[in-house]
Amino acid sequence: MIEAINRAHTWELAHDPTVVVLGEDIGVNGGVFRATAGLQEQFGKNRVQDTPLAEGMIAGMAIGMATQGLKPVAEIQFMGFIYPALDQIANHMARLRNRTRGRLTCPVVIRMPHGGGIHAPEHHSESLEAMLAHHAGLRVVCPSSPARAYGLLLAAIRDPDPIIFLEPARLYRLVKQEVADDGKALPLDVCYRLREGTDVTVVTWGAMITETMRAAETLQTQGVSCEVLDLATLSPIDHDTILESVTKTGRLVIVHEAPRNCGIGAEIAATVAEHGLYDLHAPIKRVTGYDTIMPLARLEYDYIPNAARIMDAVRETLVE
Amino acid sequence: MRTFNLPDLGEGLAEAEIVRWHVNVGDVVAVDQPMLAVETAKAVVEVPAPFAGTIKTLHGKPGDIIATGAPLVEFDTAHGASAEVPPTAAGHSRAHRSADAAHVGASSDAGTVVGNMPIGEHELIETAQACGYSNNRANGNPRTSPNGRLRAAPAARALAKHLGITLTGLSGSGRGGVIVVADVITHSSIAARAPATTPPAFHGGEGLRGLRRAMAQSMTLARDNVMNCTIFDDADLHHWREGHDITIRLLRAIAAGCQAEPALNAWFDGNAQTRRLLPQIDVGMAVDTPDGLIVPVIRDIAGRTAVQLRREVDRLKSAAHDRTVTPEDLRDVTFMLSNFGMIAGRYATPVVVPPMVAILGSGRLSRDVVAVQSGLEAHLRMPLSLTFDHRCVTGGEAARFLAAVLRDLEKDT
Repeated sequence: MIEAINRAHTWELAHDPTVVVLGEDIGVNGGVFRATAGLQEQFGKNRVQDTPLAEGMIAGMAIGMATQGLKPVAEIQFMGFIYPALDQIANHMARLRNRTRGRLTCPVVIRMPHGGGIHAPEHHSESLEAMLAHHAGLRVVCPSSPARAYGLLLAAIRDPDPIIFLEPARLYRLVKQEVADDGKALPLDVCYRLREGTDVTVVTWGAMITETMRAAETLQTQGVSCEVLDLATLSPIDHDTILESVTKTGRLVIVHEAPRNCGIGAEIAATVAEHGLYDLHAPIKRVTGYDTIMPLARLEYDYIPNAARIMDAVRETLVE
Repeated sequence: MRTFNLPDLGEGLAEAEIVRWHVNVGDVVAVDQPMLAVETAKAVVEVPAPFAGTIKTLHGKPGDIIATGAPLVEFDTAHGASAEVPPTAAGHSRAHRSADAAHVGASSDAGTVVGNMPIGEHELIETAQACGYSNNRANGNPRTSPNGRLRAAPAARALAKHLGITLTGLSGSGRGGVIVVADVITHSSIAARAPATTPPAFHGGEGLRGLRRAMAQSMTLARDNVMNCTIFDDADLHHWREGHDITIRLLRAIAAGCQAEPALNAWFDGNAQTRRLLPQIDVGMAVDTPDGLIVPVIRDIAGRTAVQLRREVDRLKSAAHDRTVTPEDLRDVTFMLSNFGMIAGRYATPVVVPPMVAILGSGRLSRDVVAVQSGLEAHLRMPLSLTFDHRCVTGGEAARFLAAVLRDLEKDT
């Protein structure tokens, strides 16, 4: 996935002269995860800029560039480092179109690694998507495969409005996938159906896709047919696709790594309860992280939902 | 001889400090075997052997700072070829091996200095279908269930499951054809029965004890078992002189009623469908006490004089108030008298407690305007309410019983 992200940057830098990449250690050094390796060499220091260690400034710079006709793609090293940038993101980036009544848009992409599973220190494994999704004016996107990392990042860079682009750190090098480097973007704001099924709908995103697909494959051998939807765009949520799937299956399990309390799973569950209640055959189940600080290396796999927990939840919905 | 240079450990730092060596000169190491731990600005990272061989030289000791790209370890490999491993190679040799793979996602770089990046060789093959908005929803049409899949309220589903009813084929009366609870009830045999409802619960009540608890239980028993039917009438006491003992006159009237219709002095077993007419009339007299209702029994009212009855009534009343009534005084009652009129109230619907079949209630006496032959007169009257268990007492028997009671009460002596 990391190379898919690198290729998407390369493609867009090469094909759109207004694209600018910026962030801490992203130029000379190519980024902590090597997402931007080689870009400065290829495109020069004006288009691939190292910044000081100041997330608020990175976001502010990106907004300034965006208002002046550039398309900045900024990297925050880890999602836990986003807090200093939130003032710029929430108070300006998300509002610029509204504030200027459409005169200015803010075509910024802010990329960052998302989630745990890499035995990292504190502040390096956060899943804060719900916090960002709660802000009107922000789009939050989270790919779950190299192909979607490539296609959705291209779509994000080309979109005229600000996008938070969450990259599941655990998946950076976990899977390989043939991806045509053809500059084709994938649609934003829609779910991706990774598996068709009839018994239960499982909605998830990011690194949880891997565990969910593993659970679905095992369940298939036991005669349970799971429909797996990759939410992909976490805000706005493609509720229609979820509702249609629930109409078909009558059961819903939501899986996310982020804590349960006020998570995006709650939003999905609430919407299905509002509009799809009569289609449900069983209570909606959530499989999530716990409402505690993301643990360090030794316990992180006790925290992160795994295939066994997902299978338990699916079976619980089937009891009804 | 092959030289392994300190790789860029991913964050692009210029140097790293040796924390400790896991190998010594002369050791034979295998691919991926940890050789040393180095500390960068962020974390301690294990550096594995990039290839198999014998360690010839270790460059640096713990605490030394090594520049990225500087020689770290020299190997004597089986091939003996002298070669330098490019300094950009990752510490992780598995990633290094996959560097040639023509796959996006594989890389020549371990990719992180914090923690341990999981690296997979698995090739992802997926069919990802972008979903998008369906035309149906976009056109504002309400969602319909494909393939005849049922839409039902959760409570309806739960009720159907509880009752063992399948919802298939039920037509829903809810909005958009949704099956609601009422549809399940209509469809089920429980429609004929009263819907099971539970009175609202509340917190902080005190448990019933003693007489009140006994009343609650006997009334529940009565409610669940007796078919109560009540007739009302008034006894005209116009001919009474001063000094009549109302309670004793009522007991005497009950005896007269039972004589006229023995069916009301009886026990009835609804389950066994058996009835037993009782030769002796033992009247239970409801006594209101601060602790609750207590019903001592006056034995053989037909076989005692008025004086004897008065003495017995007095004894039982004071025993009831003193709570010295014996179990014998409460047992085997055949007919009930409730003289609530001493307090207030004209008519009531007294409740028959099984196995008895009747109860007589006497209300508050009043002077009523009565139409007589010569015009209107004010007469003293006693309202009577006779409840009988209609499962084993006919209306005619009850009415004749009441008529006999009235006749006896209306006598002047």
